[in-house]
Amino acid sequence: MKAGYLRGLAVLALALLFIGAVLSVQWPKGDVSQDDTVTNRDVGRAMFGESGASGYGLIMLFIGVLLLVALLGGIFLAKEEKEDEI
Amino acid sequence: MIPIEYWLILSSLLFAIGAYGVLSRKNAIVVLMSIEIMLNAANINLVAFSRYHTILHPLAEKDATGQVFALFSIAIAAAEVAVGLAILLSVYRRYKTIEVDKINILRW
Repeated sequence: MKAGYLRGLAVLALALLFIGAVLSVQWPKGDVSQDDTVTNRDVGRAMFGESGASGYGLIMLFIGVLLLVALLGGIFLAKEEKEDEI
Repeated sequence: MIPIEYWLILSSLLFAIGAYGVLSRKNAIVVLMSIEIMLNAANINLVAFSRYHTILHPLAEKDATGQVFALFSIAIAAAEVAVGLAILLSVYRRYKTIEVDKINILRW
């Protein structure tokens, strides 16, 4: 029970540290909820670039491979072992 | 008007909630969910700073790099959860429990 309180206090201290750090900075004025929003088109442009090798297409490819490997690893790990295989 | 500080404070609170979950909960699935909350806190930071950069530099081209990084982060989180849940399934079959206190050896 006491350990739980200590963990809670530690996390509270961490949160207060973060908030104090954020509030101690003089941020330039800017409304993040302003309406000239970044659209899907801009996200697509940033991701794949305007031309040639600009953008993050190659990284997206690597992430796709990572997801495939994670899927195969997940299937392999979750596969039920038969009794005679042990 | 929502200044950047509010988003950063929201993200800090989410991160702290996730950290509390990781430190205090025993159920491994809840621990995984808490890690996801912490990752989402990082995503909020990425998107908020990207928007902030766009607003502070209105003449420059709209920059969605932060959003793209958040998408990558979500993809990596998905991979992590897939492997994590598979490991948990395997651990449950072996030990009949997913309480992190009781799984104290790295041997199968």
